Amino acid sequence: MTDGNTTDDLADERASLVEQVPERRRIAIAIVGAVFWTWLLARWAYHNALLDVIATALGFPDLIRSEVPVLVRQGWIPGGPFRAVADAVAGVANALGPADVLLEWLVWLADLAAFAATIAPKLADGAFITVYLTVVSLLLGLVIAVPLAVARVYGGRVLSTLSLGYTELIRGTPLLAQLFFLWYALQLGSVARAIGFTGEPPIPQAAAMVAVVGFTINSAAYQAEYIRSALQSIDAGQLTAARAVGLDMRGTIRHVVLPQGLRLAIPGWTNEFVYLIKYSSLAAFITVPELFRAAEGVGSDTFRYTKVYVIVGLFYLALVLTTALAMGRFEAAVSIPGLDSSGNQE
Amino acid sequence: MTLLELEDIEKAYENEEVLHGVSLGMEQGDVEVLVGPSGAGKSTLLRCVNRLTEIDAGTIRLAGESIHDLDSNDLRQRVGMVFQDFNLFAHRTARGNVTLGLEEVLGMDHDEAVERAEAHLDQVGLAEQADSYPAELSGGQQQRVGIARALAMDPELMLFDEPTSSLDPELIGDVLAVMNDLAAEGMTMLCVTHEMGFARSAADTLTMLDGGRIVERGPPERLFENPQHERTESFLGQFTDFE
Amino acid sequence: MVVSGALRSLDPALTRTAIVLQSGDWGVVASNFDFLLVGTAVTILLTVSSLVLGFLAGFPAGAIEVYGTGRLRGLVAGAGVVLRGTPIVVLMMLFYLGLPIPQLGTVPGLEIRVSPFIAATLALGLRSAAYQGQVFRGAIQSIDDGQMEAARAIGLPRRGAVRHVIFPQAVRRALPGFQNEFTIVLKDTSVAIAIGLAELLTRAEYLFVQPERSTAMFELILAVSAIYFVLTFATNRTLDRLQTRYAIPEGDG
Ligand SMILES: Nc1ncnc2c1ncn2[C@@H]1O[C@H](COP(=O)(O)OP(=O)(O)OP(=O)(O)O)[C@@H](O)[C@H]1O
Ligand SMILES: [Mg+2]
Repeated sequence: MTDGNTTDDLADERASLVEQVPERRRIAIAIVGAVFWTWLLARWAYHNALLDVIATALGFPDLIRSEVPVLVRQGWIPGGPFRAVADAVAGVANALGPADVLLEWLVWLADLAAFAATIAPKLADGAFITVYLTVVSLLLGLVIAVPLAVARVYGGRVLSTLSLGYTELIRGTPLLAQLFFLWYALQLGSVARAIGFTGEPPIPQAAAMVAVVGFTINSAAYQAEYIRSALQSIDAGQLTAARAVGLDMRGTIRHVVLPQGLRLAIPGWTNEFVYLIKYSSLAAFITVPELFRAAEGVGSDTFRYTKVYVIVGLFYLALVLTTALAMGRFEAAVSIPGLDSSGNQE
Repeated sequence: MTLLELEDIEKAYENEEVLHGVSLGMEQGDVEVLVGPSGAGKSTLLRCVNRLTEIDAGTIRLAGESIHDLDSNDLRQRVGMVFQDFNLFAHRTARGNVTLGLEEVLGMDHDEAVERAEAHLDQVGLAEQADSYPAELSGGQQQRVGIARALAMDPELMLFDEPTSSLDPELIGDVLAVMNDLAAEGMTMLCVTHEMGFARSAADTLTMLDGGRIVERGPPERLFENPQHERTESFLGQFTDFE
Repeated sequence: MVVSGALRSLDPALTRTAIVLQSGDWGVVASNFDFLLVGTAVTILLTVSSLVLGFLAGFPAGAIEVYGTGRLRGLVAGAGVVLRGTPIVVLMMLFYLGLPIPQLGTVPGLEIRVSPFIAATLALGLRSAAYQGQVFRGAIQSIDDGQMEAARAIGLPRRGAVRHVIFPQAVRRALPGFQNEFTIVLKDTSVAIAIGLAELLTRAEYLFVQPERSTAMFELILAVSAIYFVLTFATNRTLDRLQTRYAIPEGDG
């Protein structure tokens, strides 16, 4: 379907969330992003079971606290000062009467910050699962996507039709329906549990495994489309030249087509990365305690829904923007003069 | 020794017949220039020799062996080809373009391949540009990388398909100089080119192809001065004005 | 099931007493066919309303990103990044629970409440606007500068040049992107399950989470997936055909 034919346009128009952002603001995003990630990584490390074992073995039993249950984990950033600011400003606002919108906003913001400080540990745990789901599924998806794209372009009638059928089917149905299919219809969760190992690092609990399977299947189809259009943009003369020096089809694909095609596919791939970070939130619907579900939990405990979803939205934004920035860096690092993602060589 | 022999080659695409019984023989060290109007079948003939295109009927022998008894990839190691549009691998440096075939087809180890590649780049006057990517080279430089890429495989025969037709006039000279050197060193070369200066100075044989048939074939001087066919005369006549 | 505990009220479609007459699992699908068909109608309606909102807001947004200046442009661009960088489920929850959308009763034929429908339309529509704005921005920027110069050279003012020369070309060029947007919005209407809107997938789930029908999970999910697929496939093919018919002949543009 046409979402297939138009990936070229898509790759250009949607690839970079940050491409249009002015340089100064991009630097600001990078700094905030670095702080965010430092905090996030430190939180994950602090409660990481594996690191705990190592630290204990090295004689620091209290350095890493993996034994603390998720629900009672403490934040490092105190909410108190923000709360105090909120109360103080609220006092002033009350004195001035109800008219002052600006002050009310200030109160709201200070209150938001105080609330964020208290719920941040829970969200950090959710974010770990979000990142895990995204990265694992994206990489597994890539492993499937490369042969799918090659089959589509060079596979002959049968293979290319099969590859096309797969991508059309996956891209033509909602991701949530696919997750439901795996979770409810195929009951993959019980299958995973029956096989065992689930819940032991690095293998997550059964539901998260099912989510990984679903996201992998789904993102393979999208990644294959991006790679396919990149492969097709490589000039046929180079394939002839490769054959003329004596490379066979496999060698040509491996040494000439893929090194160029995969580079050209990076903007599309970034797009898919960002997409997957956002859509990993759907794993919440099959009970995976990732970032969105963590936020929901906080929401139903505190009834402060608006603030919870604003804060979790900011979490996702931070993840997505830092990813887009980092992928831009990556693209620049592996770029080759004359070979760029606008699809034009020379 | 007869290196290349074509006997009654026929080739048709879909329903269009392109080659009608072409026969020719080249001795080792011969330089043959193939000319003819657009659509005559020159490229097709060249591509049949390294089996980028398969013939319908006839025989092609390389050093006495039918090329159809050879594995096509082995054949292509023994026959180098240079293209009109260079067709350099865009993701590899000049050096990388040359080493790819050496490492992946001949199975040479990396250091040896690099050494050999650099020697051949030096031979075409591009020692300095080894680290440049195709997009950073001029057309003439790109084409010389293309020649080095083919030469590095140590071929018995080189095919050139209009190697200077995509070049700006001032860049043609460098490429022709490399081809002249090669001819002088005794490389067997089958060249489609309309550079008549090169044909006069370097070719042993000039062949006029039209409508998939050889119209006339012989020493370049004879075809220029004393063509036997009206078709040859009028075709070559276009070029002599510029000499 | 509704994910959030905040959603005490439910669409009428999801509160009726279940009819348990079926024999066999495909029988469940068959006997609830009408129920799912209405869900399909809700899905289509939500898709259309979101796309319309997306176009109405996205078209000017794209133009502002190219031709706008200063604060307005920064605001539009910033809002675009936020909308494109946030999961759709978060946007839906935020709009449903965070905005003061009045309780407007229900839509009788469709058995849905108005307020979650509005929230879903806002979430899907505004996010789509952000995407459609990007599609349109890209299309405008892809038009050769020479077009603007030629238009100015025949005496058109800048505004007129944009309106009569740039926009008509840009809109045609943006069509594949708009089409893609259609597929994305259609599929993402299923996320409205989070706010209990009785669209197609929500109805399937409502049916199969009830114990007496849980054996029909496989059939129900397959059936609704097939409906989604037919919708995306048919629309895409139709739009493909329209695009070929109305394309401007182009060389290597
Ligand atoms: N792959 C192909 N499929 C179908 N027809 C082809 C193919 N390649 C060449 N032809 C046709 O065969 C005829 C001869 O083509 P060829 O490229 O050999 O001519 P040429 O002498 O090299 O011409 P030119 O000087 O334009 O390069 C032409 O009519 C061309 O259209
Ligand atoms: Mg030719």
